[in-house]
Amino acid sequence: MGKLRGFMEYDRINENAIDPKERIENYNEFTVAPSTEKLQEQGGRCMDCGVPFCHSGCPLGNLIPDFNDAVYNNEWEKALTILHSTNNFPEFTGRLCPAPCEEACVLGIVNPPVSIEMIEKYIVERGFSEGWIKAEPPVQRTGKSVAVIGSGPAGLAAAQQLNRAGHRVTVYERDNKLGGLLRYGIPDFKMEKNVIDRRMAILEEEGIEFVVSTEVGKDITAAELEEKFDAVLLSTGATIRRNLPIPGADLKGVEQAMDFLPHNNKAVDGQHQRDPRFLATDKNVIVIGGGDTGSDCIGTSNRHGAKSVTNFEIMPKPADGRTEENPWPYWPFKLKTSSSHEEGSHREWSILTKEFIGDKDGNLKGLKTVEVAWKKIPGQRPQLIEKEGSEKEWPCEMALLALGFTGPEQSLPQQFGLQFDERGNVKGQKDYQTNKKNIFVAGDARRGQSLIVWAISEGRQAAYQIDEHLMGHSTLPLKNTTGDLISV
Amino acid sequence: MLYNYFKQLFAQVTNPPLDGIREEIVTDTSLSIGNDLNIFDITADQAKKLIIQNPVISNEDLDKILHIDHPDFKAISIPTLYEVHKGVNGIESALEQMIKSIEKEVDNGANIIILSDRGISKHFAPIPMLLACAHTHNALKRLKKRSNFGIVIESAEPREPHHFACLFGYGASAINPYMVNEIIEQQIETGGIKDIDVDAAVNNFNKAIAKGIVKVMNKIGISTLHSYRGSQIFEALGLSEKFVDAYFCDTATRIEGVGLYEIEREIGRRYKKAFDKDGLAGMNLEIGGEYRWRRDGEAHMLNPTSIAKLQQAVRQNKWESYDVYAKAINEQSEKLMTLRGLFEFDSFDPIPIEEVEPWTEIVKRFKTGAMSLGSISQEAHENLAIAMNRIGGKSNSGEGGEDPKRFQPDNNGNWRNSAIKQVASGRFGVSSHYLSSAKEIQIKMAQGAKPGEGGQLPGPKVNPYIASVRNSTPYVGLISPPPHHDIYSIEDLAQLIYDLKNANREARVNVKLVSEVGVGTIAAGVAKAKADVILISGFDGGTGASPLTSLKHAGLPWELGIAEAQQTLVMNDLRNRIVLECDGQMKTGRDVAIACLLGAEEFGFSTAPLVASGCIMMRACHLNTCPVGIATQDPELRKNFKGKPEHVINFMYFIAEELRQIMANLGFRTVDEMVGQSQKLNMKKAVEHFKAQGIDLSKILYKPEVGPKVKLHNTVKQNHGLEKVLDFKIVEQAHPAIYRKEEQHLEFEIKNTDRTVGAILSNEISKMHGANGLPEDTLSLKFTGTAGQSFGAFAAKGLFMKVSGTCNDYFGKGLSGGKLIAEVPSEATFKADENIIVGNVALYGAVTGEAYINGIAGERFCVRNSGATAVVEGIGDHGCEYMTGGIALVLGETGRNFAAGMSGGIAYLYSPDGTFDEKKFNLEMVELEDLNEQDIETVQGLLNNHVDYTSSSKASAILADWPESSKNFIKVMPTDYKRALEMLAKENEEKLNA
Repeated sequence: MGKLRGFMEYDRINENAIDPKERIENYNEFTVAPSTEKLQEQGGRCMDCGVPFCHSGCPLGNLIPDFNDAVYNNEWEKALTILHSTNNFPEFTGRLCPAPCEEACVLGIVNPPVSIEMIEKYIVERGFSEGWIKAEPPVQRTGKSVAVIGSGPAGLAAAQQLNRAGHRVTVYERDNKLGGLLRYGIPDFKMEKNVIDRRMAILEEEGIEFVVSTEVGKDITAAELEEKFDAVLLSTGATIRRNLPIPGADLKGVEQAMDFLPHNNKAVDGQHQRDPRFLATDKNVIVIGGGDTGSDCIGTSNRHGAKSVTNFEIMPKPADGRTEENPWPYWPFKLKTSSSHEEGSHREWSILTKEFIGDKDGNLKGLKTVEVAWKKIPGQRPQLIEKEGSEKEWPCEMALLALGFTGPEQSLPQQFGLQFDERGNVKGQKDYQTNKKNIFVAGDARRGQSLIVWAISEGRQAAYQIDEHLMGHSTLPLKNTTGDLISV
Repeated sequence: MLYNYFKQLFAQVTNPPLDGIREEIVTDTSLSIGNDLNIFDITADQAKKLIIQNPVISNEDLDKILHIDHPDFKAISIPTLYEVHKGVNGIESALEQMIKSIEKEVDNGANIIILSDRGISKHFAPIPMLLACAHTHNALKRLKKRSNFGIVIESAEPREPHHFACLFGYGASAINPYMVNEIIEQQIETGGIKDIDVDAAVNNFNKAIAKGIVKVMNKIGISTLHSYRGSQIFEALGLSEKFVDAYFCDTATRIEGVGLYEIEREIGRRYKKAFDKDGLAGMNLEIGGEYRWRRDGEAHMLNPTSIAKLQQAVRQNKWESYDVYAKAINEQSEKLMTLRGLFEFDSFDPIPIEEVEPWTEIVKRFKTGAMSLGSISQEAHENLAIAMNRIGGKSNSGEGGEDPKRFQPDNNGNWRNSAIKQVASGRFGVSSHYLSSAKEIQIKMAQGAKPGEGGQLPGPKVNPYIASVRNSTPYVGLISPPPHHDIYSIEDLAQLIYDLKNANREARVNVKLVSEVGVGTIAAGVAKAKADVILISGFDGGTGASPLTSLKHAGLPWELGIAEAQQTLVMNDLRNRIVLECDGQMKTGRDVAIACLLGAEEFGFSTAPLVASGCIMMRACHLNTCPVGIATQDPELRKNFKGKPEHVINFMYFIAEELRQIMANLGFRTVDEMVGQSQKLNMKKAVEHFKAQGIDLSKILYKPEVGPKVKLHNTVKQNHGLEKVLDFKIVEQAHPAIYRKEEQHLEFEIKNTDRTVGAILSNEISKMHGANGLPEDTLSLKFTGTAGQSFGAFAAKGLFMKVSGTCNDYFGKGLSGGKLIAEVPSEATFKADENIIVGNVALYGAVTGEAYINGIAGERFCVRNSGATAVVEGIGDHGCEYMTGGIALVLGETGRNFAAGMSGGIAYLYSPDGTFDEKKFNLEMVELEDLNEQDIETVQGLLNNHVDYTSSSKASAILADWPESSKNFIKVMPTDYKRALEMLAKENEEKLNA
């Protein structure tokens, strides 16, 4: 149960990082592993709460107090078993999750919370380096087959679970490599791609079949798939980017983040030469959108050697800490400074881009903005008001649009004959089933753009439902959501 | 698991529970196995028994029994398996077959039957061992062959003390938990358990279980496993009568429930999971979450959502959040976490909500639970008191005294006084002044979270402040005994009620009981014993510090207790004299409404107001590490307390408002109208869970047919019969002393019906002068004759009370600074030091003061004395038990078990030749030492006083030869106390130097 009074004896630590100046020289991960003792101490800070809010705050329901205790006791293999029992890919979440668990940590009421995500990451890294993570193919096959469309975290989690239940699983990916956004959305400095490769090797060894560079709906039709498999899971993500339909949006130099980032990742992977169009070198870069994708653009631009990097966010600057309306243990809307911000960027809040300005050749040379205020109206969404006389021009040769995703692409679901919900997502009932009997949906395609943990969770839950649908019952784990802090 | 349907019974009021730790001398876990023959004969053959010192046995010991090679013993192993695919028929016929085999073997001379569930396979599942054991016990009893053999259990099932207790309770004589042995072995192999070998580890486990069983037995006041074996001292909850009659006959089961069919189905389901081939069998063990919430584990009502929403509601005064919270709690019926979850309101007769009495009236009936300062921090404790005083409700001091500074309101208007002052077995800080500050005095007979058990405040939690309010020494651990040493029967309880009523006539006396079978009868007795309020506590109340065996397995829900109490009181027309209160995990207005309809008119809340104050259900209350500053005394952690009185008030407001809505729907304008109207409750129609289908609540919902004059709620006050108390005569004459502090001497005759003399007097003094009382010996009273019980109870400072004659039990109970003398009348011809002059349990819970007893006192002298000085010429057994302070000087014999659990104070003992029999002492916590110079001076001074006050010839004789006789004393010194005194002396020195 952790160390009694450990939370009073030890402080929170985070992973150390290589100095920003040094790390932007390359695209490698830049964190430095803490010593085993320090990790154990951090596990010892866990108070083994009677009601562990962290465990409830985690969309996967990770058994956090249990693995913290194991780490404190230096029982890493046990910790790994506990971690894997709820999370197929802790190496992804351990690097990329915004860690709602830490915001819900009880210690966080009075002290900095336990560094749960860091512990998670080093449990799984230890597992790989010790060789504890091995393929565990099912003992017996059921004779049923399932197609999973999309190899993002939702699809992969579902595939592994379904394979464990004994079904023959085939994963279709339209890109040339597996991982979805993990592969081409997340820059290498956040997660090096061998992290995906080593896990894919295990999945393959367990008997999952991967078919890459094959787009369902084009290369194979929906009907063919339905014919060939007992069940189909649609986990194609929410990939439609939000646009900024303002004057000048078609200028050269106005790029979607989700064109910019994949291009860069492929270049890092040596798949192609860099196109100057996607090179930020010596440019004034403005990243529009203050989310995680925006951060990734900042980090990448700095690595390209941008002249300046500025980040626009339309919302006002959040408070540094929790406010009264935003109490523990709920997710706090507070100021977050990512490692990319630390590498050099200027941030602007409450700012709205009105126009892109081009030169005579149609190249972007600046943009016009106005400051905005948000008016609260009870019972309604806050109203946006432009501040008069706050117009400003910014020199800019590259504008990156990181405005989020509006929903899943429609054509494939249409080909399957699926219905959509009011937000444009593929309509999946509580049991992840679509309006068609053998077609299931999970991940961002079902819930809209979200976190990796949610994707894995969706994949696992959908796998249970598919297994139950095929077999009449399932022994796969199903997460209970009673008492949940977070909505399902 | 079948075990979970059985609730341990415990002692309250009718007989005392036992402290098997401090009074180990009377406990025994050894059992004998073999043929009992005709128990009405006495023959040599009856002595041919196999004695097992600890009947929780290892695999080797079981082997020895199985292969016993002795003409007098024959052991046979009987399998307790059934063909799982045959379902309920399979288990039923296997049980029958088992009895047939046993009968045959017993007829053939077997006298040890080993019931074994080894050998399970895909086709054979184990019969629940408790079922097999109880059936063997009862069926062979019916065949009149039960005394011919002993039952030995070889099972993978038992692992918790409760499991073992059930098996012994239903007839087992020895238990081999082989699975536990295997787990221990595996843990040692894989390094989970370190630095111990397998044999030692198994032995430790077995010993620990034996201790646990002693604890379970002690709750009901049984001291030997021999008498516990086969006692069936359980109540079944949720089992059908048919099933219980067939296999557990004579066990009470009141609400029906599941039978063999459902139990077999559960086994079948588990079995399928274990042997299922097409799935993931064996990949992951379930996570559990019995005691700590886990998403996929056992459901808990206080889970992340309900806690977060409640805190949000009270902090932001937000009804919407409360609504989410209350819905989450109330809609748990599907989860079947509480009985009340199965109830539905019925017969709606709506009235406008404006016609329902306002929330400000309703909250006057609300109380917060007894949580002592010590268990929770000063900040949290005072926060509750301030809140409840503001709204006219009542907070409870808990067991642990209270700082007198809190008795008067503060300048800012906050009043930190706890309206309810608790009197528990430890009697910590229970003085005349403490009792005088109460609006209600609560006698804690049992505690919902751990009925039949005592308590312990570990040394590190006893900081100087806590020590000062408990009148003890800092850093010395404090023990609350399981029993009240002045209550061994209902008459004794009546006496204590009388004592407390004398100590504060304005305060209501409340007796706290815990729900169990028969609590109605006890409640009727308590009503006749003149309690003003009876509190029925549910079993699910509880601190995070309760022993785990008690958290789940003892006590019953309040729904059963309150209903039984209401029915019994109404049928005997006692209900109108009593206020009925209910508590135990009350969390919503719906809970209150149901309690009210079942018969309660006042309501207590504990956990929920703490959650409102910031508790996040850490369940580490016993560890002093509560991170939110509630259940901790750590000064750093206490700073984290963020609760405000408003939070508690908002909680009470929300509860009252939710209740008002229900009242309006049902058509009640006042709570009084609503009490006991159980016809407004109906069982939920749509509870689909199969277990619930057999549940029958009609016995609970039964509303006794009574005449129109019989009231269902409290309408009149108890007649305590105080008019004739001798104290009123004294008060009348002692006016100058009490009010003007003038010295006075008065003389009275006394007889044994004059009980509790001095308490009213002390109450008057405390009200006038506070804890300081009067100057020493201001009012000198001499009584001639035989004093009744509780002479000098709570006697305040400035009183000098002398009896020339004899005294009954409870002499000087709660002595609060006065001086008590019992002297042999000068005309007496007997020898003072050979005769008993004072009854049992003298000076129980004495706080401060002096007593000189010119003769022998009975048993349990100076139990829980925390500061009084006493001289006596001999005492009975268990002297100075649990003492925490003060001095006892004994000039004659002591009985057995002297100084058990004595953590503080000093005892000096004398024997004419200076030798002492060590066997008479309980040396677990004390050391025997020679007297130092200072001690000799102290003793000499006390002897001089004794001679002055009582003319004791024994004391005179000792003093006459002082240089020699002073060598014949020893000093009994508690080890911890000594260490604490040294620590304090060092602290003082450091302070001086600084």
